[in-house]
Amino acid sequence: MIAAPSSGVNLDMFNSARLRIIGRRLLQAIPVIVLSTFIVFGLLKLVPGDVAVTLAGDNASDQRIAEIRELYGLNQPFLLQYGSWLWKAMHGDLSNSLISNESVLTSIQRCLPHTLLIVALALLTALIIGIPLGIAAATKPGSWIDSIVMAIASLGVAVPNFWLGMLLVAFFSLQLNWLPATGAASLMKDPWAALSHAILPALALASGGIAEVARQLRSSLVEILSSQQVRTLHAKGLPPSSILWRHGLKNVSVNLLTVVSLLANRMLAATVVVEAVFAIPGMGGLIVNAAMHRDFPVVQGVVFAMVLIVVTLNLLTDIFYSVLDPRISS
Amino acid sequence: MKTIDLGKRTLRRRDMLALMGGAAATGALGLPAWAQEAKKGGVLKVAAPANPSSLDPATGGAGSDHSILWTMYDTLVEWDYETLKPKPGMAKWSFPDPKTMVLDISAGIKFHDGTPMDAEAVKFNLDRNRTDQRSNIKPDLSSVDSAEVTGPLQVTLKLKNPDTALPAILSDRAGMMVSPTNIKALGNETDRKPVGAGPWKFVRWNDNEIIVVMRHADYWRPGRPYLDGIEFNIITENATALRSVVAGQNDMAFALPARLKPVIERAKNLTTVSSPTLYCIQLYLNYARAPLDNLKVRQAINFALDRDAFVKATLSGLGEPARMTLPSSHWAFNKDVAGMYPHNPEKAKQLLAEAGYKDGLELTIGGYTDQDSVRRGEVIQDQLGKAGIRVKFTRGTIAEISAQFFATEKKFDLLVSAWTGRPDPSMTYGLGFDKDAYYNAGRTADPELSKLIKESRVSEDLAKRAEVFAKIQRITVENALSAPLAFQFELDALSEKVKGFKPNLLGKPKFENISLG
Repeated sequence: MIAAPSSGVNLDMFNSARLRIIGRRLLQAIPVIVLSTFIVFGLLKLVPGDVAVTLAGDNASDQRIAEIRELYGLNQPFLLQYGSWLWKAMHGDLSNSLISNESVLTSIQRCLPHTLLIVALALLTALIIGIPLGIAAATKPGSWIDSIVMAIASLGVAVPNFWLGMLLVAFFSLQLNWLPATGAASLMKDPWAALSHAILPALALASGGIAEVARQLRSSLVEILSSQQVRTLHAKGLPPSSILWRHGLKNVSVNLLTVVSLLANRMLAATVVVEAVFAIPGMGGLIVNAAMHRDFPVVQGVVFAMVLIVVTLNLLTDIFYSVLDPRISS
Repeated sequence: MKTIDLGKRTLRRRDMLALMGGAAATGALGLPAWAQEAKKGGVLKVAAPANPSSLDPATGGAGSDHSILWTMYDTLVEWDYETLKPKPGMAKWSFPDPKTMVLDISAGIKFHDGTPMDAEAVKFNLDRNRTDQRSNIKPDLSSVDSAEVTGPLQVTLKLKNPDTALPAILSDRAGMMVSPTNIKALGNETDRKPVGAGPWKFVRWNDNEIIVVMRHADYWRPGRPYLDGIEFNIITENATALRSVVAGQNDMAFALPARLKPVIERAKNLTTVSSPTLYCIQLYLNYARAPLDNLKVRQAINFALDRDAFVKATLSGLGEPARMTLPSSHWAFNKDVAGMYPHNPEKAKQLLAEAGYKDGLELTIGGYTDQDSVRRGEVIQDQLGKAGIRVKFTRGTIAEISAQFFATEKKFDLLVSAWTGRPDPSMTYGLGFDKDAYYNAGRTADPELSKLIKESRVSEDLAKRAEVFAKIQRITVENALSAPLAFQFELDALSEKVKGFKPNLLGKPKFENISLG
């Protein structure tokens, strides 16, 4: 059942305890998915408005709308409609969009990479900029560096990312013409174009993340660095850099991981707005359009995919927790 | 910055045509050079405002589909850009008697898949549009009793009742011919694999992202189209769409809101096009029940509205104050009833008092959540408020609110929305005011009005039809069956290399005249 222990490079990532955790988490994901899609489906049915009206078109008549309901099975009982969607989804069929008839799986396969790319890039940016800022502030608490970093952090949290996005476009695209203002490209087909399209939205998305990483890192690092343990290390004569890197950062890594995992989830949600500003054909745009028209197979499909991603992210976080701090896995 | 403003025209159409005839006049007016030789080739990139509902004209439904559909489908009948007067497209029509319409199809037209566009194909299409379960356009052709092939290139329609709106109807979805071979092969999967006989053929459609079409080599009109292809990048946020044109990623954005006009004008190398359309921003009234079943209350609403101020405040002046459901440039406009409701809050109060609402009254009103709709709602709220009509707003998405108002729930007394216009005015009145029409929330109508709507389709002579429409408009305006506010002008942003673009009165761009310089 357990793979042979590897030559001890990384402890062993998948010992039996961990496998059990993974298995349990995956099992837990099933009710989460069912429940969330059920709630979303219920919300879509509760709010007024009807996809049949959209489908019947501009010259709709009451009779035609009733006919459409019949044709698309929209007049069936709520539970039956949800049940038939779930049954198909369990068999790998996410149905087609009621409006445009595109397969929901195709839509998701096309949109998801765009969204993941900007979220990954934003996360990376938040870490690359946020960590040095946090360290700089923590090592000299109360200094002018600390004040500046904390000012930047407050600003980063306060600035709405859609507004920042528009400013970035105005400057980098419209004025300097360095980067495209809208759209997205496939990372597989044209990596350079994909990155150049993703930079500005990722920056807009990252502003809050940079702030959060810097703040959290600073406060937990300050706490560690002023602890008795660190005082002992100083007394032992360890150089400050070694204290910071080997003892300080290692201790705050669990906190940092928590921040990153929460951030990733939040950024996925924030793409709904950022994608609209940059006209990125991603998951955000997909679900907004679908929800507006009550195109529930698409909404359900997106929710399904998003829940899957969030559950996976949380699972990965849990695994990394126990790698970073073996006490957690017990 | 160059501005083509066809909006302020006090010119009549024949004056316009006379002006366009002279090349010197064309240059002097700064009009695009559609009279000159157009260059062939190139791919036009367009920011399109909405994902289509379907690329099958029979199964789709959104008014925003047309601009995309027309690239792939030619229609049996076309219209004049400035007046929407029908003119021959792939076919010429005639009415040998009021209940017979004959379509003579031009020779040598082929669908993109090579299928001949002949009488058989036309009959197939008309029958499908009339009877197919999935067809949304059955009502458009309800007057057709049968379609017979009477020659290799001739189809004869037997009508249940005289219907001279049919030419205009055949310039719309019902006249977009799809390849019968394709439909037979695809069955119910026709939405995403369009094959027509238009200037461009379908390449791909990714929902909410992109639609690509490329030149149809065997297109029947010699020398056309100019463009090798068109790429529609679907951008629903119109400020973002405009930014994409400013940044040079797209060559053109259309159907922009008036508030973006200063942004277009500020940008270097962009051309602004604005032009009148049939798009009528109006208040829909549910007059089947109290309090709007009272004529005086409905008239009070109409007197309370200051349409000139509305155009200034909500459309930055890019519109025409609306006195009825047709704009003044339309061939069926009735100027005799245009001055019936000047802005007069005192008169409105007096009418309310007569109706028994001495202290004013409260009405419920539905509206949408987008920026432009909210602003319109605020202005209306203020104007009605000054006459003692307090409105209570409920806002939501278009699908949600309009269904609550028009469909079975019948919420709200009023709805702030728009009528997007139809090629034939009889469609406008039939769909919006006739008994049991969906866009007539109360579903009631004066039998006289219903009779006139039918009568408006009897004569082929536009002057005679205009007389009937004059009567229809008198009834709708005198009875204050709606409160029209403004005809919104079309606003488009074009990069300088886009040549030959001509807006039309329907406000749904066609790309057939465009070339890239």
